[in-house]
Amino acid sequence: MLILLAAIFVLHIIGVIVLLVATIDNAWWMMPNISTDVWGRWIQTNGVWNLTDIPTGSHYPQDYLQAVQASSVLACIFSILGIFVFVAQLFTLQKGQRFTISGIFQLLACLCIMIAASIYTNQFHLDENFGWYGHCFILAWIAFALTFISSIIYFVLRKKTA
Amino acid sequence: MGRAGPMRGVWLGINQGTVCFLLLSCFEALCRVASSIPPLHFLSPPCTRTRSRVGLFLDRLLSGLRHPSFWELPAKPETMLTLLALASVVLLGIVPEQSQAIVIYTGWERHALLGSDIRLSCSFFSWRWTSEDVTFSWTYRPDGSRDSISIFHYTGGAAYVDNKGPFRDRVEFVGNPGRRDGSILIKNLDFNDNGTFTCDAKNPPDIVGRPSSVRLLVFEKVPIQAGVITGAIIGVVLGLLVLIVVIYYLMRFLVARRVFSLSVSKHGKKKKEGSQQRQGPVPPADPSKIKV
Repeated sequence: MLILLAAIFVLHIIGVIVLLVATIDNAWWMMPNISTDVWGRWIQTNGVWNLTDIPTGSHYPQDYLQAVQASSVLACIFSILGIFVFVAQLFTLQKGQRFTISGIFQLLACLCIMIAASIYTNQFHLDENFGWYGHCFILAWIAFALTFISSIIYFVLRKKTA
Repeated sequence: MGRAGPMRGVWLGINQGTVCFLLLSCFEALCRVASSIPPLHFLSPPCTRTRSRVGLFLDRLLSGLRHPSFWELPAKPETMLTLLALASVVLLGIVPEQSQAIVIYTGWERHALLGSDIRLSCSFFSWRWTSEDVTFSWTYRPDGSRDSISIFHYTGGAAYVDNKGPFRDRVEFVGNPGRRDGSILIKNLDFNDNGTFTCDAKNPPDIVGRPSSVRLLVFEKVPIQAGVITGAIIGVVLGLLVLIVVIYYLMRFLVARRVFSLSVSKHGKKKKEGSQQRQGPVPPADPSKIKV
């Protein structure tokens, strides 16, 4: 039981780390010498990286960008709250009960990061052939899978020892 | 900016002390609320420790004030002198503020749509009463130019607006000098109105002050400010979460109270029935005894 609990805890922590990297690092879309989204744009000129603002225009809708920012931050918050709730439930649950509230928090985090990644996929860089998706975008989708698995495990798991 | 060094220190010290005390009491109240929520019961031991410390400090303060010897003159002259010096420093700290500079408040930046009207607000803070000779004056400096022209002046109870410059027939005074408000309204904005507007207010004899500027930006379409939507979404979702948790615990508390009151009334009824049964068989026994 202890090993199972440790594995679930480690899975949750890995989910939190992946979410944090995907939210904080500006690397959802990459071009040669440019790494961009969602908070700013890194441009490399003469070997020096400079942080500039994301260009405004019709190909970069500001409101959708802010929605992506908001939901990815919310996913991080829900996942981190989920860790504390899981530890609290470990000590307060009766024997045989399920970790439903932790599961709900992880499910909310999964939902939020799915919203963020979907909006980004659908609204940005639609006609650009000159570039590729960066590591943060891939990590966002991986975080979606990890948090989903984690929440299913919390909904199924029962407390074995008192 | 004009205040004497040591007096400012004393004033700051008093302010910081009050803030500290308020923070401690807020923390204590929060601790009490938090430790009553079941998952956070582990918070109660450290909270009671802080609570006892704050309570002890309060008790000492109040008991000190209530003690009769507090209100008698202390016997030692040194303590009297130090108290007198402290009181005079505090009082002297207040008095020079009456001749402080006048502080003028306008916005920092204003965004407006092409063709709309905009109200540029200007108000001031002064230690003196608002005099009858209060003056407001607005000047305008276009973007990229170094000269500024005057577009509005209020003095002697009358407002004088621009009648020759770029803002002729477009400026209107909408302020209330009696309430220290010197705002103006500019109508029908154009792209040439981009620039910096400076408000200068004088409240005789309080005339030393720094004029404050507001920058006007005219857009065809007002852009979304950075972070407004992000903050709104995050705030609303977290607020809903907190609301749901609060409502859940409230419902549980109310249901538990109702169940408790119901069980108390049931227990009371059962007790009454039990005592009535015991009294029942006694009366018929008496007439038989009397017969015998």
